[in-house]
Amino acid sequence: MSNGRLRAITGVLAPSAVLLAVSVFGLLFDTYWQYVFAISISAAVIGSALAMLVGYARCITIATGAMLAIGAYGATIPIVHAGMPFLAAIIVAIILGACAGLVLAVPGVRFRSHNLAMITLVFQAVVIIVLRESKTLTGGAEGMHVPPPVILGFSFARDADFLLLCGAIYALAVLPMAVLLAGAFGKNLRALAFNENAARAFGIDVSQHLIAAFIFSSGLIAFAGAVSAPRFRIIDPDSYGIFTSIFTLAYPIIGGMGSIWGGLAGGGILRVVPELLRPLADYIELIFCALVVATLTFFPDGLASALWRRRRTRHRRIKPDTSLKPASVELAPIAELFAATEALGLAAAGRDGAEPILLTVEGVSKSYGALRAVDDVSLVVSAGALHGLMGPNGAGKTTLFNIVSGFVAADTGKVQMSGALLHDIPLEARIRLGMTRTFQHAAVFERLSCLDNVIIGLGRNSIAQGILRSFGQAYANAGSRSERRAAQAALVAVGLGTRVEDVAGALPLGDQRRLEIARAIVSRPRLMLLDEPVSGVSVEEARRLRELLLAINGQLGIAMVVIEHNIGFLSSLCRRISVMSQGRILAEGDAASIIADPRVRHAYFGEQEAAA
Amino acid sequence: MAEKHLFRRRTIIKGAAALTAVAIPGLRAQRALAQVAPGVTDSEVLIGALGQLTGPFAFIGAPGRDNMQLAVEKLNGAGGINGRKLRLLFEHASTPAESVAAAKKLVENDKVFVLVIASGSTGAAAAADYVRSAQIPTYNTVGATPIIREPFARNVFHGTIPPASVTGQAMIDIGFQAVPSATKIGVLAGTYAFPQSHLAEIKPRLEKRGGLEVVVEQFDAAASDFTAQLVSFARRRVQLVLILGSFTEAGFAIKQAPEKGLSDVHYVLDGSAVNNAIIPVIGAENTKNVWGYFNAPYFPTQDDLPIADYRRQLVEKLGTLPQGRPNIYDLIGYGSTYILAQVLKKAGRDLSWQRVIESWETLRDAKPSDMGGYDVIFPETVTPTDHQGNKKVASARIINGSWKVVGLAS
Amino acid sequence: MIVVGGLKFGAIYSLAALGIVVIYKATRIVNFAHGAFVLAGAYATYGIVEALDVGYWPAYLLVPIATGLLAAAVEFGMLRPIRQADMFALITSTIFIGIGLSEVYRLVQNTEMLGVRNPLPGPPIFLGDVIITKEQVWVLVGAIISALIGVVVFGYAPIGRGLRAIAANARGAALCGYSSDGMNAMAWFLGGALAGLAGIFAAPSKGISPELAISMITAGFVAAVIGGIDSLRGALFGGLVLGLAETVAAAYVSSAMKNAVSFLLLFVVLLWRPEGLFPEAKIRDV
Repeated sequence: MSNGRLRAITGVLAPSAVLLAVSVFGLLFDTYWQYVFAISISAAVIGSALAMLVGYARCITIATGAMLAIGAYGATIPIVHAGMPFLAAIIVAIILGACAGLVLAVPGVRFRSHNLAMITLVFQAVVIIVLRESKTLTGGAEGMHVPPPVILGFSFARDADFLLLCGAIYALAVLPMAVLLAGAFGKNLRALAFNENAARAFGIDVSQHLIAAFIFSSGLIAFAGAVSAPRFRIIDPDSYGIFTSIFTLAYPIIGGMGSIWGGLAGGGILRVVPELLRPLADYIELIFCALVVATLTFFPDGLASALWRRRRTRHRRIKPDTSLKPASVELAPIAELFAATEALGLAAAGRDGAEPILLTVEGVSKSYGALRAVDDVSLVVSAGALHGLMGPNGAGKTTLFNIVSGFVAADTGKVQMSGALLHDIPLEARIRLGMTRTFQHAAVFERLSCLDNVIIGLGRNSIAQGILRSFGQAYANAGSRSERRAAQAALVAVGLGTRVEDVAGALPLGDQRRLEIARAIVSRPRLMLLDEPVSGVSVEEARRLRELLLAINGQLGIAMVVIEHNIGFLSSLCRRISVMSQGRILAEGDAASIIADPRVRHAYFGEQEAAA
Repeated sequence: MAEKHLFRRRTIIKGAAALTAVAIPGLRAQRALAQVAPGVTDSEVLIGALGQLTGPFAFIGAPGRDNMQLAVEKLNGAGGINGRKLRLLFEHASTPAESVAAAKKLVENDKVFVLVIASGSTGAAAAADYVRSAQIPTYNTVGATPIIREPFARNVFHGTIPPASVTGQAMIDIGFQAVPSATKIGVLAGTYAFPQSHLAEIKPRLEKRGGLEVVVEQFDAAASDFTAQLVSFARRRVQLVLILGSFTEAGFAIKQAPEKGLSDVHYVLDGSAVNNAIIPVIGAENTKNVWGYFNAPYFPTQDDLPIADYRRQLVEKLGTLPQGRPNIYDLIGYGSTYILAQVLKKAGRDLSWQRVIESWETLRDAKPSDMGGYDVIFPETVTPTDHQGNKKVASARIINGSWKVVGLAS
Repeated sequence: MIVVGGLKFGAIYSLAALGIVVIYKATRIVNFAHGAFVLAGAYATYGIVEALDVGYWPAYLLVPIATGLLAAAVEFGMLRPIRQADMFALITSTIFIGIGLSEVYRLVQNTEMLGVRNPLPGPPIFLGDVIITKEQVWVLVGAIISALIGVVVFGYAPIGRGLRAIAANARGAALCGYSSDGMNAMAWFLGGALAGLAGIFAAPSKGISPELAISMITAGFVAAVIGGIDSLRGALFGGLVLGLAETVAAAYVSSAMKNAVSFLLLFVVLLWRPEGLFPEAKIRDV
């Protein structure tokens, strides 16, 4: 087995192994501590589920208590009232939890931050009320007695037996979560939390991902509720109230927001702290709150992440993949990208001898109230063209980009790409047409590595693809390796070959702009929209970026539409330039004629026509 | 790549460190002392107890702890039990999860000899479930719900607070003491565990009595607005209202009643609402017809002899008491410890769980004064088939701005 | 009679909601610690009215100032360092600060519930079949007047203008001479003061206990969102609607429905008109 594969598999199996190890370790102790370890493992699993929802997707959920209750009652009611076997009841609990997650998420994901928190609060309260009122089924406020789990006739009443059962069953349950969090699905979740616009531009559907995150984490949380219920002997609605929800929120916050280990450690340790600090029972809750607020203030990534971050290395050399043949020095990087993306099966732009006209914008207008941001604009971009878009601030250039890339819907007019009307195609689907973009403020996913940023650029980011790729990445299958190679090649092509594993947020602005370019070209698009790619960088860096863009256009045949204020840059890069002012196209032509055009000069420099 | 290795290695090291930190107290507990029975050495008997020390029900657990501690000190001062001193370990527990954890810690880790459950509701039920399998002699001093008492277990004994069937009947009896000719009765019940178990006992008994119009209204825990329920009672012109809830809920209800059109009505309160802290909530002008049942022969603020002496002793130990103390749980904590001491003494010097259970099952009219304490609770009698120590219920009334026990409920 | 009772609680909810909206409008932070501020106000009322026994009038003056200062201190000490962080960190911090403050209260005053006396004791007023107590009228009128004062201050006074300027464009407002730090502290002070007033009015009828914080935060939120979290008038209206809906539901359906009603109302409003019933213009940018 290759090194990479071994690493991937052990990485994904490690959480399960640790849970199992802890449960075995617990056997050394007396029954009270075995009980405590079992509770700790449960909490660790809850923490890992919350790592997905709270840590990765950064959703505030105050419904964890309700999900635990749904799991606990969802398993216990069939066992007690219908004699269902334990394992089957657990499955029922997972399904109920997942459905509850779906019910919660569908209205919830229309909102973010505070409204989402409110919806989860509503859900939490209503579930508890329903449980308390359904006396015949749930025993109401007095609670319900839970028998010990019985599997194949063996009753897990002893603490040691139960601890081992927990270890085994949780080790299995946490495996898919580990796979998803370590893999593409987890990366996509984090991406949409860091920069929603960029994520959507590369095919990540926000609503679908959040709903999926809710479903997975709720299912796992309900599972944990169902498995731990027998230990408490009595379950009552008040044990799963709002305070439970709020304190479990602390697990990923304190443990670490960026990895499954944070959730595991946060849950496992925080849950047993009250047992260890019994003399301080009075002050425990206050200490907790202070700890959380302090962590949010000083360690926004969680305590565990703060301790690990110190170990992050700054510069690492990548080993070039020896299966790629090196060509001549200068053209090598792009050629490598060429070859790597061929391996992925990405069609080469311009190679299929397709239509000469790539993008048509016809009569597009957009108004915001009384302001006409875009006023009857028409534009044609040929395949492989380098087209500039210029204009003073507020001319409507970025709005036009937003209309073409799908962030904003035009009021009138139509946009067509390769014959397809873009009007009906949602933003997230446009990457599949071969359209990518960069943003005015470098929209990199700041806490992901450069490599991960570019892999997202490949655009294989539907839910199904994300999940499948995660499982593939778990054992480093051929597909995931090809993706990494392609992404690596793209980074080399833009000059970031030494920064492959570095965190994107640590890069200087110029390098972040390069990263955006790498992300935008790796999928071999046919059209790239670049929004002020050199704003804020030095003259020298701008020159280098110009060389890069010319090389990309020349060797990969990618058409580019570039917004820039820098006339010199634009004229040396683009063969055709359109000038916009006050929402309208003022003039269009090659660089020289644009600069000489009196209307342009008037708009830009305020020059008046000299009286002849 | 290599970083992940570093991560994992460090995680494992950290995890091992954390586990070792946890392990040390755990392993230490393994070293058993030379013992006759768990919790019994030559010189001491270890008593474990659990109850709510913080949170909304702290007014049950905190007095329990304070008074058990007081009683233990006095008993030890008088020479202990059969040559051994008592030592008390009181753990906080409220939810079922915490209660099972506390019980397990006390029984399996600290190895106490007897366990006292000084809390009510679902936490106590979970602990009771646990002790039934652990077999340790257990004293349930304040739990009244049936789920704590069923199924019957030989090692579980109940103290001052009788089951809800007894106290429910007492409320009805007191109601008819107050308004002998009542025909329209309102019942205001909280939706949480304890009031609901009372309601389940009271409703059928009222129906069996016959000739009564009964109106039942419910409210959520910690509700503070009873407009709807009181208006309903007023519309039906009830003469007697039984309130099944805490003193805050009962207090707000009684306070708001006149403004909702309910006047000249007698109220019978649940024992946990029979507390002087209710008086400022009701307002001094509303205290005329307020009754309640009480599980002890005297209200803690009365001036009769045993209770006044007891109060002096309590203040000596604790200093100034917070508002509403001493309450019934102070009395129970204090008195129960003396009863327990008597059980242990009767079991003899050679202690074992079996002996203690046998001693308990032959308890007759045990009083705190038998062991040198003040008689602030009713005497307890236990038989092998009936483990309910006390079945008497007193009736109490607000007189001159304070509660007083005025007799027995029946 | 049910209507009056419902409106009385509604007025208290309106005050709480108003404080939340003021803080939101000025600093874009949804303050989950608001309930704890109300509790602080109620507790301070107890201190002044019962412990010091100096009557209610000093309370109406001092308590809002005290809670305002508390809120400003929270903003200054705990939220300012993370102001640069995203909404998630800010909102979650307020959640835990709120719980922390309730815990502090519980540690300081470990009794089940404190009571304060009625501000206007005396026989109730009879209007035909309807019985209204003086206290109900006082709370209703007083709460609404306080709320209107809050609306006026925020809407029209120079301080209010500054707050709204900062909210709209922080850098621009700074260039115009408004201090962002100062304005934020002022917004929290105002919000805290409104919370304190809500506490004074709520104390006699709801009692002082940690549960007050939770019930006020949920009610205040629901009211604020129903009315539109960006709208002061909405907060006023939303609170009254909520109070009425709750009491009516409790009277004609069941008491458990009372809680459920407020949440169902919230749910319906969020789905149907997420901007609330009184939306104010908002611009999104990419």
